[in-house]
Amino acid sequence: MSLTPEYLKEERNQEWRAELRSKTKNKDRMLISRVKMPELAPEIRVKYQDREVNMGLEPSQAQTEATRCMDCANPTCIEGCPVNINIPKFIKYIEKGEILNAAATLKETNALPAVCGRVCPQEKQCEARCFYVDKLDKQAVAIGHLERFAADFERNSGVSNIPETAKPNGIKVATVGSGPASLSFAGDMVKYGYDVTVFEALHEIGGVLKYGIPEFRLPNSVVDFELENLRKMGVKFETNYIVGRTSSFDDLKAEGYKGFFVASGAGLPRFMEIPGENYNGILSSNEYLTRVNLMGASTSNTDTPVLRGKNVAVIGGGNTAMDSVRTALRLGADRAIIVYRRSEAEMPARIEEVHHAKEEGVEFMTLCNPLEYFADEKGRVKRMKLNRMGLGEPDASGRRRPMPIDGSEFELDVDLVVVAVGVSPNPLVPSCLPDLKVTKWGTIVVDEEKMQSSIPDMFAGGDIVRGGATVILAMGDGRKAAENMHKYLQNID
Amino acid sequence: MTNLNVKYLGLDLKNPIIAGSCGLTNSIENLKAIEEAGAGAVILKSIFEEEIYLEFAHEFSKLGPMDNNLEFLDYYDYQIKKDNLKRYLSLIQEAKKELSIPVIASINCVTAHEWGFFAKKVEDAGADAIELNMFILPSNLSQTSQDNESMYFDIVSRIASKIKIPISLKISSYFSNLGGVIRDLSFTEIKGLVLFNKFYSPDVDINQQKIVGSDVLSHNNDYKLSLRWIGMMANRVNSDLSASTGIHDWQTVVKMLLVGATTVQVVSALYQDGFPVLTDMIQNLEKWMQENGYTSIADFKGKLSMDNSTNPAEFERVQFMRTFEEYK
Repeated sequence: MSLTPEYLKEERNQEWRAELRSKTKNKDRMLISRVKMPELAPEIRVKYQDREVNMGLEPSQAQTEATRCMDCANPTCIEGCPVNINIPKFIKYIEKGEILNAAATLKETNALPAVCGRVCPQEKQCEARCFYVDKLDKQAVAIGHLERFAADFERNSGVSNIPETAKPNGIKVATVGSGPASLSFAGDMVKYGYDVTVFEALHEIGGVLKYGIPEFRLPNSVVDFELENLRKMGVKFETNYIVGRTSSFDDLKAEGYKGFFVASGAGLPRFMEIPGENYNGILSSNEYLTRVNLMGASTSNTDTPVLRGKNVAVIGGGNTAMDSVRTALRLGADRAIIVYRRSEAEMPARIEEVHHAKEEGVEFMTLCNPLEYFADEKGRVKRMKLNRMGLGEPDASGRRRPMPIDGSEFELDVDLVVVAVGVSPNPLVPSCLPDLKVTKWGTIVVDEEKMQSSIPDMFAGGDIVRGGATVILAMGDGRKAAENMHKYLQNID
Repeated sequence: MTNLNVKYLGLDLKNPIIAGSCGLTNSIENLKAIEEAGAGAVILKSIFEEEIYLEFAHEFSKLGPMDNNLEFLDYYDYQIKKDNLKRYLSLIQEAKKELSIPVIASINCVTAHEWGFFAKKVEDAGADAIELNMFILPSNLSQTSQDNESMYFDIVSRIASKIKIPISLKISSYFSNLGGVIRDLSFTEIKGLVLFNKFYSPDVDINQQKIVGSDVLSHNNDYKLSLRWIGMMANRVNSDLSASTGIHDWQTVVKMLLVGATTVQVVSALYQDGFPVLTDMIQNLEKWMQENGYTSIADFKGKLSMDNSTNPAEFERVQFMRTFEEYK
């Protein structure tokens, strides 16, 4: 669905919207303070891996927050949303008390609203473009909280609104991977009438939503509900299926697939290549979080346990590092420490995640960088050596460059280290397609407008194109790819 | 018969002329051509910490769809470093397979810790020796000269503790007591000292009134600082001395050997005249030796060093004063 200015104007001029606007004066709307998301107390939540920190808004809170939105004539917030949610419309439905309509509005362009309401960095996207921020220097309308509220309301109501789909056109398309880019693509393609199959290498659908994000931020049940909606729309799912191994692209073409969307993610962990990094007890955040999130390693009766530590250091300053360090606390660490080579101001993690981590007792050892690890006689890490860092001139990222301070080395006792310094794209698909252009980073080269790769019937998006995207950017890729694959397939037929 | 063999860092070289570390010693094709031109040894291009940051900046500048993705890029310099080091180790392995002359790896050091770890990998990849290129401009105002010197001894000691292959150390002349530092460094674990490395020098464009870069390559008159210090330190140190910067022709090679260098390192001339300049240097060195009745390098190496000189003052400033007095 394309949200043209004309369409938005037409919708805004509908009677119910105009009536709602006239009901409360803008100056009164501006007097309302931004709602605060209710949270589970840190001392309680830190005991549970699967209890959500953010508890969601009460209906009255949501309605009050929705009233803050002034239903702008030029809703810049939409420009900040990679999947183009009709933000004022869904918020005004909440103000009006028609929450199911709000949820239906979200689903017009977003296949995973309950997910996005929880994990999107709205403060950098839609909320950053809100009128309150742009013009009034005030806190934005809590768009993310409201999105979550509407999606949760629908899920809890037992009424699931399944978006309309076009008449099936019988054309088979495949998507590789089942993370947010794939699911978004699948949702849009099935709406266009395609026969969509999602191929997932693991035993669970959801990709990074399941293996990468802990349940205290995104419960698996929330993801499952959204997946069920896609199933009801007609999307098919194949698990334990590795495209490129279980069958090749040629095999799938022979089975009648006409278009492919590759969203196989960035599942290759990176390490720092420093001495001692191969000792037992030092693992990647991928392994750590996958074992806990997807393989039940936090439970006592698991066949696939994960090493637990009392003194846990997590290397890195992104959301994955925050997820890992908070998981370590929940798994019983006495000390869970973030070791980051820049200062807190330069951390890529969401401010909310840093705040939650601090509330829970995570220690932040900023301006420190590991140099070497030492092990006990059994080869298990027992200590690490670190350097203190200063900040030099700004580097290419615009942040001040970390510089080692001579003679500042010190040691720290640790018995578990989780390395969360980024991931690389999954190399499997590029490695089995010699004609597929990839960058030196291992990401697939696409036309940025169309998401089309060097192989015409192959489109790509998400981490395999961006290297490591946010959920919502990946979903935006999926939508863009769907729109353009649809055009491509219509034209060749 | 004229014998050009020398022993440098304990390695047998068929002649004292080494292709120094530079961009040209970064590919197997060039390395083979350098061997064919007759070089006694080759020093691979240095891996610079600074280069890794520049590449990081370059990658950042062409992000495209990867913008807004700091988490992916936050530690990307480590990835670049890993890729560079991997390529470097492959180059060493391939060079060792393809060349019969000694292959010396070069590491640019600012910090000792991780480069020590890397030095071990360089050794495992088969390098015959490692040249540590201490490319440090002592411009930190809060550091004393003692701090600056200590850094060198610290890095040498740490890297030497990790490897068994010989180490040479390439230094600048920026020390408050250069002679003492050269002597003391020669008594550490290193087997050779390279005098001196050439820094990028700023210049001023007076028309645009801004700082610009000056010549990257040396000139054929730039060898005199090295000549002086090799001449002054020969026989007073516990390591080989290798001359670097300004070695553009066979005459300069002969001069350096006469004042006490064990080897010379040629770089800028390779860029300006191509690899045949090495052949020319070797042939003319041999011819000069024959004309002067020398059968081996040892016959004349260090003959004009300060230690062997009947007039040591020739290497010192008094000579400079005397020269100017003549103009009165």
